[in-house]
Amino acid sequence: MFAYVVKRLIAGFFVVILVSMSIFALFWYGPQEPARPLCNLETSQRCTPERLEVYTESMGYNNPIHSEYLKFMKGIVAGRDITIAGRTQECPAPCFGFSYATDRPVWGELKDRLPATISVAFGGAALYVILGVPIGIAAARRRGTLTDKALVSTFLVLSSVPYYLFALMLWLYVTIVWQVPGLSDTGYVPLSENPAKWAAGLLLPWLALGIFGSTQYTRFARGSMIEALSEDYIRTARAKGLPTRTVVYRHGLRAAMVPIVTIFGIDLGTLLVGTIFTERIFDIQGIGLWALLAVGDKDLPVVQATALFGAVVMIVCNLLVDLVYSALDPRVRLS
Amino acid sequence: MSLPPVSTETLGHLSDEPVDGGPAGGGKGKGSIVGKSPIQIALSRLLHDKVAVLCLIVVVLFALIAVFADALMKLFGVTTDTVRPIGLIDQLGGGLPLIGPPNNGFDPEHPFGIAPGTASDNLAYWLAGAQTSMMIAALATLVASVVGVTLGLLAGYAGGMVDRIISFFIDFFLTVPFLLAALTIAPIISERFGAEPNYPTIQRWTLITVLAMFGWMSIARLIRGEVLSLRERDFIQAARVLGMPTRRILVRELLPNLVAPIVVSVSLMLPTFVAAEAGLSFLGLGVTDGKSWGQIISNATDYFQTYPLYLYEPLLGIVLLVVALNLLGDAIRDALDPKTRR
Repeated sequence: MFAYVVKRLIAGFFVVILVSMSIFALFWYGPQEPARPLCNLETSQRCTPERLEVYTESMGYNNPIHSEYLKFMKGIVAGRDITIAGRTQECPAPCFGFSYATDRPVWGELKDRLPATISVAFGGAALYVILGVPIGIAAARRRGTLTDKALVSTFLVLSSVPYYLFALMLWLYVTIVWQVPGLSDTGYVPLSENPAKWAAGLLLPWLALGIFGSTQYTRFARGSMIEALSEDYIRTARAKGLPTRTVVYRHGLRAAMVPIVTIFGIDLGTLLVGTIFTERIFDIQGIGLWALLAVGDKDLPVVQATALFGAVVMIVCNLLVDLVYSALDPRVRLS
Repeated sequence: MSLPPVSTETLGHLSDEPVDGGPAGGGKGKGSIVGKSPIQIALSRLLHDKVAVLCLIVVVLFALIAVFADALMKLFGVTTDTVRPIGLIDQLGGGLPLIGPPNNGFDPEHPFGIAPGTASDNLAYWLAGAQTSMMIAALATLVASVVGVTLGLLAGYAGGMVDRIISFFIDFFLTVPFLLAALTIAPIISERFGAEPNYPTIQRWTLITVLAMFGWMSIARLIRGEVLSLRERDFIQAARVLGMPTRRILVRELLPNLVAPIVVSVSLMLPTFVAAEAGLSFLGLGVTDGKSWGQIISNATDYFQTYPLYLYEPLLGIVLLVVALNLLGDAIRDALDPKTRR
């Protein structure tokens, strides 16, 4: 087990390095004039070629890419001073540069917006399981009946609709057409400030994520439950005369949960980096919305930092899933 | 049937395409084998599935709309040209149209009404949106499948180092969240090409590239797995012993046996790409010239209370198309899977 963990950690580390290189190269070679957005902003759209050259030089775009990449990585680990066009700012570790739009360190802003995204992601993910798994089990136990068929086909159609349309329509109807009290005021209020408002503002996004995401969990739970319930040990348990509830939940569910745990880990990662639609529709000031606004402003350091952050979160989640999975199922680490 | 003793396995492949001519020449005689290929069986199962047929009709309809969008615009006498909104739009009262829906009944010149604010014709933009959606989804699917099948074949057949490298990239691209990648590339493309006159075309090709780049992995992994098991089978071993060049083995022996997984992957890829294109355009990361359902929906949210039709038109387009494609994909998968019986 230990060797497997070390192996996976080393592999994960190399993927992080590779991702950071790709993202750095993308922002290096991608833009025609990488210094232009900042220069435009700071000269209020009057960026002359001479001025642009000053920015290009001081931002390091005239140096070879590998030395700048090393500087960038050193900044993330140890912090550094950034001098742009004669103005020096201290950027503490982990340094992702300064946002063009607000002139604040990117990491500080990211940290400020992280709680909103985490709140949305964890609440939504919890509902995935709370809603999805019991319905899936119910469908599996009534396999072949009309209830089962109705559930399966409803969820098939629902999960075919793109998520953002589902969320958008939910938002439009609940907050604008019906103006449901208690649900209409979506947005993020810090938990420490006012727990009631925090929950009220996030209830609708959670519901949107939960209802939509649970369709997938229903399907998985139903499938793996059907598989588990047809195992020999279930028949044995029944033959012993155990009550149905014990058979289903103690014996069946335990085996059926293994694949669900795996998907859950990946989904949580996807949610942490991918609540962009949810944040945009329900107006939650999280990382996704921040990145989206940064795209509009061409705030390259912010976009770069979110990309890197998202990739690292995904890699860590994948790693955790692998580790949990190998702990649950010894066949994985031996293969 | 006076065939030499050929294994049933070879028979199955023979009927697919005359791949295994074999030294005995058993497969050469046309019509000597009466039976249905797996594809034919699947097709007949599919055509007996009412939901699948309905979905197929919807998909074909949308495909025709996309192909003949320009002709349809002429037929209805509408254009996507910009118009002067004076006299058409209530500029003081919130930008709602003065003709047609929502308040002034039906206007035969603009069957879908006109857009609030800009007064452009909704039908024309709806048709253009259908075209954008279908074109991007179809091309991205094509690119992703070609890349995925090629790499999957290579990884599965070559094994060793090639397999390891390709598998690494499959895992790597599966780790990178697609939405984040699209978000990262959008500002770079807009910085680089934003001022060019053919920026809309560049945006479309960027979308196709991004979608394909993050869509090829599932099919590659599937094909790799299939090839890993197929290459140990007798007919491949025989072809190898006979000295058939590798390329021929890949294309003539392996590929025909991979038709089912490829068809299933393609049919499940299309709806994903349609939804993704509209989603990115909704966020402002995709098409920004207005000719996308996603972008129309994004514009229409502000007018939903007063002019809901403006939002429902593109919404219905996406939902119908995506649901039809998804259900069709599921039906195709079931039809090709010998284990399911409906």
